[in-house]
Amino acid sequence: MLAALSVVALTASALWLAPARRASAQRAGVDTYAITNARVVTVSGPVIERGTVVVREGLIAAVGERVAAPPDARTIDGTGLTIYPGLIDASTTLGIPRPTPTPGATPGGGGGFAGLFGQSAPSAVSPNSTQLPGLQPEISAADLVRPGGNEIEAARNAGITAAQTAPRGNIFLGQSAFINLAGDTPQQMIVRSPVALYVGTTPIGGGQYPGSLMGVFSSVRQLLLDAQRYREANAVYERSPRGLRRPEQDKSLAALLPVLSRQMPVVMQADSERQIARALELAREFNFQLVIAGGTEAHKVAERLKAANVPVLLSLNFPRRTAAASPDSDPEPLRILRDRIEAPKTAGRLAAAGVRFAFQSGGMTQMNDFLANAARAVEGGLSPMDAVRALTIRPAEILGVAQQLGTIEVGKIANLTVTRGDLFAKDRRITHVFIDGRPVELRPAATATGGATGASGNWTLNVNLPGSGEQSEFTVTLNLQQQGENLTGSLQGPLGSGQIGSGSVTGDDIRFNVPVTLPGPATQTTDAIFTGTITGNQMRGSVQIVGRGPGTFTGTRPAPPAEGGRPPGAGGGGRTRPAATPTPTPTPPGGGTPPDGASNP
Amino acid sequence: MKRLFTHLISFALLCGLGGGATFGQARGGETLIRNATILTITRGRLENADLLVRNGKIAAIGPNLRAGTNARVIDATGKFILPGIIDAHSHSMMDGSVNECTQSVTSMTRVQDILNPTAINLYRELAGGVTSLLLLHGSCNAIGGQSSTVKIKYGRPVEEFIFPGAPPGIKFALGENPKRTNFNVPGLQRRYPATRMGVEEVIREAFTRARDYRAAWADYREQSRTNKNLIPPRRDITLEPLVEILEGKRYVHSHCYRADEILMLINLADEFGFKVRTFQHVLEGYKVATEIARHGAGASTFADFWGYKIEAYDAIPYNAAIMTRKGVVVSINSDSDERARRLNIDAAKMMKYGGLSEEEALKLITWNPAWQLGIQERVGSIEVGKDADFAIWNAHPLSVYARVDMTFIDGDVFFDREADLARRPQLEQERKTLEQAEANRPPARGEGATPPRPPSAIRRAYTHDDDVHYEEDNQR
Repeated sequence: MLAALSVVALTASALWLAPARRASAQRAGVDTYAITNARVVTVSGPVIERGTVVVREGLIAAVGERVAAPPDARTIDGTGLTIYPGLIDASTTLGIPRPTPTPGATPGGGGGFAGLFGQSAPSAVSPNSTQLPGLQPEISAADLVRPGGNEIEAARNAGITAAQTAPRGNIFLGQSAFINLAGDTPQQMIVRSPVALYVGTTPIGGGQYPGSLMGVFSSVRQLLLDAQRYREANAVYERSPRGLRRPEQDKSLAALLPVLSRQMPVVMQADSERQIARALELAREFNFQLVIAGGTEAHKVAERLKAANVPVLLSLNFPRRTAAASPDSDPEPLRILRDRIEAPKTAGRLAAAGVRFAFQSGGMTQMNDFLANAARAVEGGLSPMDAVRALTIRPAEILGVAQQLGTIEVGKIANLTVTRGDLFAKDRRITHVFIDGRPVELRPAATATGGATGASGNWTLNVNLPGSGEQSEFTVTLNLQQQGENLTGSLQGPLGSGQIGSGSVTGDDIRFNVPVTLPGPATQTTDAIFTGTITGNQMRGSVQIVGRGPGTFTGTRPAPPAEGGRPPGAGGGGRTRPAATPTPTPTPPGGGTPPDGASNP
Repeated sequence: MKRLFTHLISFALLCGLGGGATFGQARGGETLIRNATILTITRGRLENADLLVRNGKIAAIGPNLRAGTNARVIDATGKFILPGIIDAHSHSMMDGSVNECTQSVTSMTRVQDILNPTAINLYRELAGGVTSLLLLHGSCNAIGGQSSTVKIKYGRPVEEFIFPGAPPGIKFALGENPKRTNFNVPGLQRRYPATRMGVEEVIREAFTRARDYRAAWADYREQSRTNKNLIPPRRDITLEPLVEILEGKRYVHSHCYRADEILMLINLADEFGFKVRTFQHVLEGYKVATEIARHGAGASTFADFWGYKIEAYDAIPYNAAIMTRKGVVVSINSDSDERARRLNIDAAKMMKYGGLSEEEALKLITWNPAWQLGIQERVGSIEVGKDADFAIWNAHPLSVYARVDMTFIDGDVFFDREADLARRPQLEQERKTLEQAEANRPPARGEGATPPRPPSAIRRAYTHDDDVHYEEDNQR
């Protein structure tokens, strides 16, 4: 029986692998691994309480209770370990470089205010495009993605083996790719490309249309209408070119054609009920296949999502409390207090309502939160098996790679996440991660991602506004929270109290708008645009207040906290801090703990 | 801890999750309001009258009405019923910037795309007896974005807010805002136009293009009858709303101040053959009231608010009364989330300044704005067959002591003062419980911790909108 099974398995794998042999032969070293005596959560079938998974030349060669480790395999004793299909992060910007800020150089011209506030275009740029950067659907993540880097490493340390990655930018961000988080070249990483078109709602700004959310929707609508006409014009012309002026070739519009024919889905970032409703409305208007990314309030629109068969890439970056910007600021609205409690329950509610969903990291800066928050979703009502699916086969299905990934089945790509303890247990540790059949080294050091330095924290700013009457120096408190590239927060002090309207982080560069109230006889509230650079715990830059001359600011913050999980005081480095109260934030389980065993067997 | 968490979950579920969902839930059915003083607006004042609401409409008005056994009966002895107040200039329901400022013509933008049905100010406006709003794009551009007319169905999904059948509208703006007088940064290039002459030319050029656009499509439709091998013209969502204006299908609501620019737009509208539905702000309207009336436009103005910039200096509080006397359909608007809650007081001021009658004053915030929005067949007065949009006031709404007890839209209750008061201890308790939850406790150290108070950070008193947002659209 045992022999028979192995033979079947090996025959299958041999057949499957034949064409790939030559390519993989160029790689040096061992290509066969077996993890024995482990609990195997196959996802495709029942859990194998004590079994073996064999990996050969990048693929899963055998799995089962009675599978023997091949003699040429590196064998890992999996006693006490659980093997899951490699975890997938359904929406990221992993491996996509941040465009270098080029002050004032907004291509396209025509806008007198281009680069007005030294703003950098956060979007990649496509040559010879008819559209401005930020409105170029032809941008492709596969052309931009780079292997390696801290962020990819941090994701792998959190057990993530593969991800959808999308270009960064404003409105038409471009086309995403599905990548494995290992490989020496972009080509080795890519599993599928293109996957989906990403549409964002960040205005281009700097004087360029669109400069508002309203304008974002108008520009999306106009470009999709133009694409419809482009399709029609080319069809008419191809039918009979004589007597017709040829339609101009336009790669931006051409890139939208698969969207109009429903061959390529559109991923739209939408968290609140109304944002999701807007996305659904746009999808209905242009009959495209929609995928919601974010989805914090998706359960409130569950019926509509189900009816339209719209899946959700649900963010695990749950809202967290950061302290009020000032000790005597207004109490938080009840709605916000509720939202923090409700966010972990969305997944369970979507599952109950029958809406397809997969988990994504949502731009979190502490990757330890990825599994910790999936565990909170389980606590909030999601069944553990559904949670595993939302990290494996569901994203694979939604992103069109279910034939290759998402379960532990013979012939699939050998992406595996191995843990000691259950995936959602607080004491769980990631022991091994296999990507494309090779173990990756797990290092506890690389954890934080996001900007090179996060912008979050409580900053004390000195704002200098020359020529503004009796007072020109103001000391204000700025509370910043960075989530991915988004910046939220508030400003308090002698310039009034205001919430950040729109804010973004690009590398070390930050930019945000906040209403300020200038003191003086004619009290006036107006928008101030802060543009600056963060270096460590210092920030400096310029401030532009509508109707006034430019000013400058400098800022400092208390040093950020030690990396997750370190005991209080361990990384203090001589900073003065308020007395620590016991465990103020939920400490991510397993955070910063070194993986056990040798990671390179 | 875990037990507390579970406890909390059940508590939150008990409380209901939607912010204002509590009052908006009951739908349809019959309501009989007994023994009220009804200010009908169009049929005078009815004492000791009953009002019967059925299926969202006003079913009957009169003494001693009878309702079905399941009807909700409200005793309104000593109370007043006023049609729902209509605010003809609001930005209360808009997410993010109310302005697309990058171009001088932004008719492609739509307020409808950025509606926020959870904005708390909507609830506060219900508490001021307001039931409908004209949501306008800002005044950054000569031709701004497309407006939305909504009923404040707070607690309901956004699509239920849209006023069914209300004519589409668009914002225009004249004067200092579109020419960016007060918004320029020294050393930076200005956006065209920079003068009132330029504003006029921007509008003229846009309508010239719209005429050409309409002609191109007409041409294409004509030719495509015989020639199937034609490529259609490009659809241009900037010009399509302007074609609708030319065809009389879209109302123009134009921000303006000075008499000369008002006359300019009237002449320009005559040149292209369209009508201006309302002049907004229109602080010098009293100087050209005859011309406004002759054009057939309405005027939507402030009661007594001016002097906040040069073009707003030549204003008088008698503006609304003078324009009314000259035959203009006048409304008093808020253009402010805060002011919108007490439009009844602004209407009352017009009896002091200019001697309008009680009914004329009330019309400024009910029937007249309804006409300006083209929804006067549905709302704006208490008449049988009209939408049951009204509020019950505890005193005459023109009294400073008056407050709203209940606000109805389409026969459903969206504000109920008693229910609101009764719910407060419960909400307070919920807050206490929520604040104890782990996710809601701030970190005491590190990222996000409470900072030491900077020595100079003196907290300023909360500034109300009307002190600073004379036109919200300017500011955001």
